[in-house]
Amino acid sequence: MIKRSKIQTAIVYSSAILLGLVLLCPVLWLFIMSVSSTKDLTTLPLSWIPADISFNNYISLIGDFDSTSAESFLYALRNSLIVAISATVLSLSVAIPAAYSLSRLPGKRRSSLLFIAIATFMMPPVALVLPLYSAMASLGLLNTHIALIAVYCGVLVPFTTWLLKSNFDAIPIDLDEAPLIDGANRLQIIWYITLPIAKPALGAAALMAVLMAWDEFFYALLFTNDIRAKTLPVAIADFAAGRVADYGLISAAGILATIPPVSMAYFLQKSLVSGLMSGSVKG
Amino acid sequence: MTALSLKNINKSFGDIRVIQNINLDIKPGEFVVFVGPSGCGKSTLLRMIAGLEDISSGEFWIGDRRADQLPASERDIAMVFQSYALYPHMTLAENIGFPLRLAKLPKDQINNKVQEIASILQLEHLLDRKPGQISGGQRQRVAIGRSLARDPKVILLDEPLSNLDAALRLEMRIELAKLHKQLEATMIYVTHDQVEAMTLADRIVILNNGEIAQIGSPLELYQTPINTFVAEFIGSPKMNLFPASVNEKKSQKKSIQIIGSNDEFAVDTNQHPPQELQTGNQIQVGIRPEHLVPSDTGKIKGTVTSTEQLGSDTYIYFDSDTIKQAVARINGVASIRPGENICFAVAHEHYHLFTSKGNRIKPTVL
Ligand SMILES: Nc1ncnc2c1ncn2[C@@H]1O[C@H](COP(=O)(O)OP(=O)(O)O)[C@@H](O)[C@H]1O
Ligand SMILES: [Mg+2]
Repeated sequence: MIKRSKIQTAIVYSSAILLGLVLLCPVLWLFIMSVSSTKDLTTLPLSWIPADISFNNYISLIGDFDSTSAESFLYALRNSLIVAISATVLSLSVAIPAAYSLSRLPGKRRSSLLFIAIATFMMPPVALVLPLYSAMASLGLLNTHIALIAVYCGVLVPFTTWLLKSNFDAIPIDLDEAPLIDGANRLQIIWYITLPIAKPALGAAALMAVLMAWDEFFYALLFTNDIRAKTLPVAIADFAAGRVADYGLISAAGILATIPPVSMAYFLQKSLVSGLMSGSVKG
Repeated sequence: MTALSLKNINKSFGDIRVIQNINLDIKPGEFVVFVGPSGCGKSTLLRMIAGLEDISSGEFWIGDRRADQLPASERDIAMVFQSYALYPHMTLAENIGFPLRLAKLPKDQINNKVQEIASILQLEHLLDRKPGQISGGQRQRVAIGRSLARDPKVILLDEPLSNLDAALRLEMRIELAKLHKQLEATMIYVTHDQVEAMTLADRIVILNNGEIAQIGSPLELYQTPINTFVAEFIGSPKMNLFPASVNEKKSQKKSIQIIGSNDEFAVDTNQHPPQELQTGNQIQVGIRPEHLVPSDTGKIKGTVTSTEQLGSDTYIYFDSDTIKQAVARINGVASIRPGENICFAVAHEHYHLFTSKGNRIKPTVL
């Protein structure tokens, strides 16, 4: 441990607090908006503490099943969960063997393959959306989960492959050869050795994948048009698109939409701590 | 116990030939040590035996079975890596038992075997720990333990002691020798340390630039090194090589004179008249430091440049007329100062003769 002076400690802590405030303020304001009445939100100047607090917005989103806002919100939640989880699971199950082979198996052409994959990941969505749209249309996949899952996998596979490959690269090659001698085949090596050691990276990749799929707006907006396939970002935008935007309702939906990814991050945080490698090969 | 046989083995990485024409038969239960300077191809040769590296050309046999195409997992050969290569996320018990788990043995059998190995290697109290929580010497034991799990017939060890400190290295060396007797497994041990090679090996294979320089028991290599490379590699401090010339003697015999000294000795070239001993040829005479005995009538003369006192021995470094930094090793403490002139006598049976290119000449020294 490096000893820090009192002043240094104070600087470190005040910077951390400042950062926390900057990050949390919008969330806090979102929450305040979600429990305020429309009247409070339209009177100027705005106040931090609303005159009366009510959870009606939440009730109309998840409590009252007959309202249209609840219907569109709950369906969108379902769609988002299906799309995000399927896209993540699918892209990880492709990315793991791909990353392993890019990291471990010989052959010069492999690395250019990764480069091409990364290049497609770099392309802006607007460049791809038209051909994708007509392809989906002719396949009859518009307004389905499959369309979004396929598009998201196209984005997520290169990204997660690259993330996992750079982590596999850090695992010493001896840890592949030792199990080989012990009688393992490639799949067993990946399953028993590589993946457990790369667990933090795996957790990070899964989290990033879920977040990207969860937050994606552009493709979701264009490829879906009703509650059968609309995801949360699109549904929330719909709340704002009516004649009068109900800011309270939008905020409540926003708060609710953050709960699944935040809780996932919370449960994954234990596996995200690194330091698993210590003691394996000579220190 | 299984015999291994390497026939004309070659290995190239791209255009670079790393291993050249290796022919070697290893007997069941033998302890063979591959030794040589670093980069000479020891690890590559070992990895080809293990199946981690393809053989470019040649044949490899395990017993009476051709094995060059056999995958590593089917060779029944265990290996201890220089880096230990322990699985960081598993406890020591899981590490040692991993080969058995892959072989789908029932849990209680795995446990029994792990306990048995742990007691041989004194690891019982550590079995629940992870590799990150134990010392280097203990990690080394675990790595050995894992290699023992499947009762392998052949165990390969790649510089297993090079990451340990001197005291631990000595201790583990003795334990390895004991373990070899106890297990009766064939062991191939790679090291760049000639002391490890001399003390552990039944047979030593000296490698130089990817080729076998000499194969033999430790004493054979010490007493009859086939060339100056082996002569200088085996023994510490290393052998002194003095330039010498071949002179004609009246009685059909020849004599060899170490240049710059009046040390001239006769050799009988009648039995084996080697080309190398033509009159007038330049050759080299090798003398081990321990065979140089200080003596007032000694014929090898020099000026002491420095001394090293080891307590049990004294190393005397001296410059002779022809070579610098020659070294002599004397038992006990010798009170000799730098700058002094010194003379050494050598019993003639301790001379090693080499051609100017460094190959051993085998005449009978009279
Ligand atoms: N995978 C490889 N690709 C290219 N050259 C290699 C490879 N592995 C080893 N070499 C070369 O082969 C030679 C012998 O290496 P190695 O067997 O590791 O030597 P040692 O174990 O005796 O120190 C070295 O010159 C090394 O650079
Ligand atoms: Mg090596």
